Amino acid sequence: MGDLDSAIAQLRACRPIPEAQVREICHKARELLVEEGNVVTVTAPVTICGDIHGQFHDLMELFRVGGDVPDTNYLFMGDFVDRGFYSLESFLLLLCLKVRYPDRMTLIRGNHESRQITMVYGFYDECMRKYGSANVWRYCCDVFDYLALGAIVLGSSYTDTSGPESARTSEEVEVEVCNANKQIMSQFRRDPSRGPRARSGATAAATTNGVDGAGATTNTGPPGSGASGSSGGSIGNPAGAVLCVHGGLSPLIETVDKIRLLDRKQEVPHEGAMCDLLWSDPDEIDGWGLSPRGAGFLFGADIVKQFNHKNDLSLIARAHQLVMEGFKEMFDARIVTVWSAPNYCYRCGNVAAFLELSDDDSGMGIFARSNGDVGRSDGGGSRGVLTENDAPMGGPFRRYRVFQAAAQDARGMPAKKPVADYFL
Amino acid sequence: MSDLQRRWAKAKLSAAALPHFNEHDEDDDQPPPTDRAPSQSPTTTTITNPWAVDGVYPPGDPPLLPPFDDDSSSASSSSVSSTGTIIPSPSQSLFARPLTFPTRTLSPIPWPTYFERDLYLPLPTHPLQVHHVYLTSPAPASPLFITHHGGGSCGLSFAVLASEIRKRLPGAGILSPDARGHGLTPGGADLDLSLDTLSADLHAVVLAVQEAMGWKELPPVVLVGHSLGGAVVTDLAFKGGLGAKVLGYAVLDVVEGSAMDGLAGMRAVLATRPRGFGSVREGVEWHVKSRTVRGVRSARVSVPGLLVEAPPVEEGEGGGMGREGGGEGGKMAWRWRTDLAATQPFWEGWFTGLSRKFLAAKGGKMLLLAGTDRLDTELTIGQMQGKYALQVFPEAGHFIHEDLPEKTATVLVDFYRRNDRSAMVLPPKVSDMLAQGKKV
Repeated sequence: MGDLDSAIAQLRACRPIPEAQVREICHKARELLVEEGNVVTVTAPVTICGDIHGQFHDLMELFRVGGDVPDTNYLFMGDFVDRGFYSLESFLLLLCLKVRYPDRMTLIRGNHESRQITMVYGFYDECMRKYGSANVWRYCCDVFDYLALGAIVLGSSYTDTSGPESARTSEEVEVEVCNANKQIMSQFRRDPSRGPRARSGATAAATTNGVDGAGATTNTGPPGSGASGSSGGSIGNPAGAVLCVHGGLSPLIETVDKIRLLDRKQEVPHEGAMCDLLWSDPDEIDGWGLSPRGAGFLFGADIVKQFNHKNDLSLIARAHQLVMEGFKEMFDARIVTVWSAPNYCYRCGNVAAFLELSDDDSGMGIFARSNGDVGRSDGGGSRGVLTENDAPMGGPFRRYRVFQAAAQDARGMPAKKPVADYFL
Repeated sequence: MSDLQRRWAKAKLSAAALPHFNEHDEDDDQPPPTDRAPSQSPTTTTITNPWAVDGVYPPGDPPLLPPFDDDSSSASSSSVSSTGTIIPSPSQSLFARPLTFPTRTLSPIPWPTYFERDLYLPLPTHPLQVHHVYLTSPAPASPLFITHHGGGSCGLSFAVLASEIRKRLPGAGILSPDARGHGLTPGGADLDLSLDTLSADLHAVVLAVQEAMGWKELPPVVLVGHSLGGAVVTDLAFKGGLGAKVLGYAVLDVVEGSAMDGLAGMRAVLATRPRGFGSVREGVEWHVKSRTVRGVRSARVSVPGLLVEAPPVEEGEGGGMGREGGGEGGKMAWRWRTDLAATQPFWEGWFTGLSRKFLAAKGGKMLLLAGTDRLDTELTIGQMQGKYALQVFPEAGHFIHEDLPEKTATVLVDFYRRNDRSAMVLPPKVSDMLAQGKKV
């Protein structure tokens, strides 16, 4: 551990660690990650972050605003590397923290965690520049292949449960936006007509919403599994589970359990379910559409609505798309894009954000882990048909912290390449 | 299904082979074994047509030399060295450059090797002039790739790309016009090269070709523009002249922000170009040696289109040649067809608003760049919002499609297949595949 702590200290100072140490850490990380399922189960409270893209100083700013590891439980939704000038330090620091505090740090794979993409968008060149050989890049890419594809957050609360009781946000608030100094910028109250689901005891999970009425579904299995548990009185998830994935949904995948069946330990393919999870984007369309990116798909509100209903999800959190305001909720708050690279590429002028989910402190936040538990699902069939009046259940209490780019240290930035000499 | 698996396997293979891809390119970039009829797929079945020699091309003789290590390999060696340490040894003479190029391998290749025909079309937009285009017509139900070259280039810039596209998509058609004042299209006394004019020309050319060829309707179209041509095709797509026939547009190595930044230095760059060459072969040699065009095969077919035979000029006026080309400085029988410096008043107009139009126009969008640092802020944001597909070939120079015709063609054909509206079929679900006992 001593070695690891010294590596963490060195990386926090934005200094690369020796190649031999990278190798050792990557090896340990792989041993750790291979034990994780394709979909990791995480319990709230958790702080969910989007793309980092090698902006090391902004990652430090994120830790300053969001709290340090291991005090805060973090979930990073991929795209740690490329574009920024410190992909290496950023990724290795996150990886070291993962090895050091495995339960307080969750890393899932983004589309940039791939050999082919990092060859072009900077990470490979950075490794070559800093080590003079491709070994470190190769070690890191081997780790990429083991990163989980998604995460399910369980046990998040309808209300703010962070900090001392007196300082908490009112129960009626569903969404709160704070700045880096923890000052509230805006609040959005819950729409009483669409939830929250009754929080009184055992009915919480049994009634998906006020309209559906009790008895419409008896789904009480672990959320995100689509299971029709027979456990009777056990509590599901007070506020519905949150699925975290880098890109989005895939037309090949109708339940979360299907993600668990993929063979993820490979380079990101050019097509197929795994590719879609890392590449797709939500869009204002009906059904599925062609993604202009050249990989993955576009998916509309109806797709998200059905998927969340079938999988007992209250929210999908994803990254992958630059949002100038740092986060963007879509489709009646069924999906949110979180972007954590302020002033992306050191010039886009955007702010960044992360999402804090608090835990349900009513003593109901303990669940059987369903990770990788296959063959128990009936594909979600028992959840019945999605009806027209199936209003959104009203998600967990969400606090977005918006932060700005850290003051940049210009040292270490490679000089801008001269423009093409002839281009007419 | 099997197609899906095959492409998957291919993707995996190519990923595995990545660190070595440069070597692969080198092989591909070697000139074909015989000069006249490169053993290529169906493309070249029509080459025996009689317009082959139009005076520009000296009779080609088959180069029987062993494949020589052309300059494009030095582009690769820099990246190859990054995958493993290459230790120079006397036998390898790694850093030595060939002093002179073997003469025969730089001899021009006539254009009918690559296109089915050329047409001289009268256009309503400038009735006194005729517009010259190269065309390979598409098979029924196949797409037509309409290309537009950059400033100072010509329609032959896409010749090698055209044959590479047809290797991958045998029915595809290619239409590559010479813009006014470029190649064999006259510019007129008062050369108007404004973006509006060029875009209107391209639109009119497409309609004129349709009429000349007697096509009842236009085939599905993919627009491909390089540099200035990228601005032209984007403008045409934005204005919607070809309507729903446009499946998508691809822009090669031009971005508004970086182009505008670079304009200031353009005059200086142009001043360093030689004013002419003693022969066409010398012109090819200059393009290859100066690394303006790194694909030798492409330079051999495209450069002849850039040059025109002119009376020799007096001593002193053509200082550039002696410096660049060596040897026969002084007599410059071959000069540039297009006076790029004279087009300066139009430069800004070409690129202003390009990023906005690129993102706003209808159809699939693809940007191919020779480096990520060429993106401007607007397109950086657009890219990260997933509004278009970006492909970067760091090993290419500005003339991406001439330097890496195979890769560019692969990307363009994939782009077409993706945007082909007749074929949007969702893949089978994971549960269905599992039910069939397949691995997912």
